[in-house]
Amino acid sequence: MIKNRKKRNCPFTEAGIVYIDFKDEKLLKKYLTEQGKIIPRHTSGASAKMQRQLARAVKRARHLALIPFVADFTR
Amino acid sequence: MAIYETVVILDSLLPPKEIDDAVERFSQIIKENGGTVRVVDKWGKRRLAYEIQKKQYGFYVAIEFEGEGNIPKALQSEYNYTDSVLRYLTYRYDKHKLKAMEKAGKNVAEAPVVEEKPAKAAEESKPVVEEQTPETATAEESSKEEAQND
Repeated sequence: MIKNRKKRNCPFTEAGIVYIDFKDEKLLKKYLTEQGKIIPRHTSGASAKMQRQLARAVKRARHLALIPFVADFTR
Repeated sequence: MAIYETVVILDSLLPPKEIDDAVERFSQIIKENGGTVRVVDKWGKRRLAYEIQKKQYGFYVAIEFEGEGNIPKALQSEYNYTDSVLRYLTYRYDKHKLKAMEKAGKNVAEAPVVEEKPAKAAEESKPVVEEQTPETATAEESSKEEAQND
């Protein structure tokens, strides 16, 4: 049985983003979970190419303390 | 010649003059090693996402430069030698970044332009200056900053 899968579109390509800048934390935060983990490709629909760029950008941003490695919950 | 960018987090408690001195020193190293400084961008003081050396705030400075591969090494040794450097990141612009720059109309081969961008959060780091400026000016600046944040 072959399911008719809905075609996912890469959110970056659709937005016309060529390069994901690690300085743009607001953009990066969209692709992080609350804990600060990178959202997997099958959820966000990002293309492999952009997901690689995203991962690199997130890691650079973490190193420079722009986004946390682990977000702690203060409840 | 490749284009690099180096981002340094300096101790935010340093007096503004010493920050300028440090940036000048880093620029000097780039020039001594046959590179050219393109843009010096002071992001200003901002909160760190996590503590580094028990510090909550850092002063971010980004220097974009053009040069050979020996410069990042030279910068690294300088950063390690300087105590006020909390973190640094030097990276080479990859093809995606270059493509994006081309798209933005910024020619890669264009002559290097050295421009000094004012620190975004200058008021925070220089409380003395803030007192001297009239209230209206600071109010305008803060509103601008808010607009930028949105």
